[in-house]
Amino acid sequence: MNDQVISAGTGGWLALGLLLLSVLPGAMPQAEAAIQGRLGTDNADCLRCHRMETLGYRDPRTGDLVDLHVDGRQFGHSAHGELQCIDCHEGDFGQYPHPESVLGQQLDCVGCHQELHKADKRAYTFKTIEQEFALSIHAVSDSPKAEGFDCHRCHDPHAFRNSEVGQPIAEIVRAGNQLCLSCHKKIRDPHSTAHLWLPKRDKHWQSVRCLDCHTPLTDPGQPVSHQILAAKDSNFDCVSCHSKEARLLGRLYQYRSETDLAGGGWLSKAVFNEAYVVGMSRSPLLDALGLGVIGLTLLVLIAHGWGRYRAYRRLREDRS
Amino acid sequence: MNPIATLLDPRTKRRLTIGAGVLVVLALAYRFLYPVVFNAYVGKTNAPLTYESSQTLTEAEFEALAQSLSEEARRLKAESVVAEDQDPFARQVKVEMLMNTESFIRDTQPSHIKYFREAGIRQYEGPKTCLTCHATIEVDHPDGTRSTVDTLDDLVNSVHFKFQSSAGGFSTYGYDGRQVNAGPHKIPVGKIDRACGIPGSFTWTGWAALVASRPEHVEEGEVVLRSEGCGQCHIGGNYQPATEKMMPVGDVPSMAKEGIDCLICHARDYDMNQRVVIRDEYGLRWDQDRSLRAALTVGPISSETCLRCHQHNMGGDVYEHNAAAQALGYKHQRLLHRGAKRGNPFSPEDDAHAAAGIQCTDCHRPEGHKIPRGRMGVDLVANDLPDKEVSCETCHTQAPHNNSRDKALLNGHIARLACETCHIPRLEDNNVVLRDWVHPTWDAEEGIWEPTDVYRSGEPGKGFTYLWFNGNGTFLANALGNNPNGADTYDPLMQQIARIDDPEIIAAVRAKAIELKAQYPDIDVERYVQMATDPLSQLSPEMLERRRAMIQANLRAAMNDGESRIYPFKLFNAMMYEDMSNQGPFGAMILPFDYTTYYETGDTQAAVKRAIQDPIVQRMYQEPFKLYMMDEFMAYFGVSGGWKTIYPLVDGQLVNVEPHWMRQMGTLMVNHGIQRQGHDCADCHAPNGLMDFELLGYTPERIAELQDPELLRQPPVNETMANAETPAPSVP
Repeated sequence: MNDQVISAGTGGWLALGLLLLSVLPGAMPQAEAAIQGRLGTDNADCLRCHRMETLGYRDPRTGDLVDLHVDGRQFGHSAHGELQCIDCHEGDFGQYPHPESVLGQQLDCVGCHQELHKADKRAYTFKTIEQEFALSIHAVSDSPKAEGFDCHRCHDPHAFRNSEVGQPIAEIVRAGNQLCLSCHKKIRDPHSTAHLWLPKRDKHWQSVRCLDCHTPLTDPGQPVSHQILAAKDSNFDCVSCHSKEARLLGRLYQYRSETDLAGGGWLSKAVFNEAYVVGMSRSPLLDALGLGVIGLTLLVLIAHGWGRYRAYRRLREDRS
Repeated sequence: MNPIATLLDPRTKRRLTIGAGVLVVLALAYRFLYPVVFNAYVGKTNAPLTYESSQTLTEAEFEALAQSLSEEARRLKAESVVAEDQDPFARQVKVEMLMNTESFIRDTQPSHIKYFREAGIRQYEGPKTCLTCHATIEVDHPDGTRSTVDTLDDLVNSVHFKFQSSAGGFSTYGYDGRQVNAGPHKIPVGKIDRACGIPGSFTWTGWAALVASRPEHVEEGEVVLRSEGCGQCHIGGNYQPATEKMMPVGDVPSMAKEGIDCLICHARDYDMNQRVVIRDEYGLRWDQDRSLRAALTVGPISSETCLRCHQHNMGGDVYEHNAAAQALGYKHQRLLHRGAKRGNPFSPEDDAHAAAGIQCTDCHRPEGHKIPRGRMGVDLVANDLPDKEVSCETCHTQAPHNNSRDKALLNGHIARLACETCHIPRLEDNNVVLRDWVHPTWDAEEGIWEPTDVYRSGEPGKGFTYLWFNGNGTFLANALGNNPNGADTYDPLMQQIARIDDPEIIAAVRAKAIELKAQYPDIDVERYVQMATDPLSQLSPEMLERRRAMIQANLRAAMNDGESRIYPFKLFNAMMYEDMSNQGPFGAMILPFDYTTYYETGDTQAAVKRAIQDPIVQRMYQEPFKLYMMDEFMAYFGVSGGWKTIYPLVDGQLVNVEPHWMRQMGTLMVNHGIQRQGHDCADCHAPNGLMDFELLGYTPERIAELQDPELLRQPPVNETMANAETPAPSVP
């Protein structure tokens, strides 16, 4: 559904506007009763139609499906869940058919988010996002597919919510990558030669977000950049992840610590922390075995020392 | 002792020889004795089959036939190519020029002319001739793989030949809550052992009959023989259906396989006039067209070939564009069934897809001789490819509407409504809803007693209704599904399909009952109307209570399964004789009629008595059959305590047999007869629209929304104009 919803953004509305324009004058069958009237502009009013799972149409220009469905429950849980539909979709949407004057609106995230009072308190501001995106391959590519690329291509405003600390990493990775792969379908083709240079390619795809390699290195504590890099400019350096100071991976693992803490306690995190260098194991089993060997060695040493101490004491007592 | 020495030991040798001997004897017995014993047990005949139309042609006759077929085909094609808007003589000249062009001849004339000529085939002898070249065929599977199968095996094991299947995986649920044949004890289910589309007959007792009719146009005392029986639509040319296939072991004898009618599906030019019942020294069977002419026209399957049989269950026999019904036979003409089984024709005149030249197999894409009927199976008939989808969405996707202003809204409906719901606005008028088999009516024109169609209608709400459907069905063909809101107020087995409230229908039934009373003075009109329109009134209070409990306990899960959408369902109920020893809350075992007795005398009891004396029905009432399948059959049927083998005929009298309407209407899926223009919004969304939203399990609030008068109105002209004049948004 994702890919369909994405195009439901501006492109879809524009096309609907266009279409209505071409259809409206005179073409409407006059004899038949039609659905028409005022509804109100509560979210519930909008969802009366937009909750229909198959609400949508085929864009006559591209042939693509434009999905107009909004999942009320998903929307409620999204980052925008508190908002009213008309907060973003301004204009007289309270009547069906929607007047075409309101359908051509180009909604853009930065415009809205920049004005919000909390905007400048964020460490990672929408202004930054805008600047980063301007350099992104999605913005600078002259491929026809990237034409008119906007936020909605990736971020479905009706479903998007930020990844949260404590969310399982696998889920974050899967959701993030699904987003990329919904357009970059060919990557999944078993005959695709992309990423063949990566050892254990599929394993990487399961554990790392596309974004982790395909964005420039960022300062510690910052999320991934919105400047998506072209394949040739992306990170090829294994050490960026497979090192003690894994700057790329750190951005993904920032979501992880608390789940780990909850699962194993802070001590085990401090002990295991999976800090390692290339060539070492990433297997928790081997880690545990290694620690076990060290622990055993320690035990033997302590026992030996204790034995020596006891022997020494006995010698002293014998002498006295 | 080492193993070799053991083997060489004389005692072991003797044992081995005895063992091998027993195996050989068993194998021989299975090969030669079993078929004879089996046939004797079920009282069926197999004999070498001959067909009059299978004639050997001389070389000269062959060439003349080839010439005429080639010319016919070329003329047809040339006439479709050459433009019509010209001088008729000029056109004629051009048609003939084109017909005799080298490449045109090569590409147009029936391909088998060349094959037969080269192979020296001058007589068509049935499957034997086809298998000369087509002993094996390549089968394409949906996963892209290809396999080679034995053609005859493939066909003999298809539902088209055996009319039943014991394989599980089909979406039918017994009233006991179990999915049919999902467990280890699998029974054969399908057309072979259930009341057929013409209820009151089984394929065994009604396979082929010659009826002596007395139409009004012939002289007193003279009779006209007419053909009737299930075998007319089935491809086996034997004296009975493929009964052997119902057993876990054994196969149809090869002489029975010789009767398979390849050409009725594969020949473009098949003479349906040959398809009549004939009598030979062994009994009655269906004749077929085995002329070389038909064989030479073998070509790809088309809608035309499928519809030779299948228009019968769609448009019906008396549908004006049913081509097969125009060729009833040179002798022993087939009887037409007047009330249509579904009344949704597939023909260019009445179906958008047929009009577009789409062929049956474009949607029902075969794998060899296995043809899919889709995953949505409401009626208990066998399915060769239960997992293969046949659906509108395969081609149309989920956004099929492109033409309307409201296209997005129309597409929005697809999540809850099947395409058919809007695009089959009505069925044929002769779609039969209530049929009384117990009180037949004299048809003077045909000169036979016919079951009385008490009510026919093709109108929505009357001839068919709208139900939630998730692809599951009950053992007696009731669509299962539920409103996605999960309401248990939706209860079609107690409501929509268990009673008729429409006053118009009730009045029509009453009128018919009064008419019947003239012939059958015993009829109590009011009780008759009540039984026909409120079939649950035939159940005792305890039985009714058990029915309620069984629906809740056994069927709710199958109803709530998967995703339900609203589909149109043709409704059908019939009054038949039932064996009341085997009654449950959903019905009792239906007893068959003997066609000949029924049509000729109108004595329905005599017809039942005659039919249940058929050896296989007698076997049905015996222990082996009970254990083999009938106990299981009854459990699915909702009858507890197993199959009672109390034979209902004692000293020539029917015992514990009563005429009844089935306790609920059967619901048959309708998927053809698709109209481009579907229902209008107001048809459903206006108050008192086509759908009873309350019975469909909607809450009052939702119903108010669905029928909001604010939304459904005629747009005033000036408002439309105002909209159109609004300045256009700037579009990049």
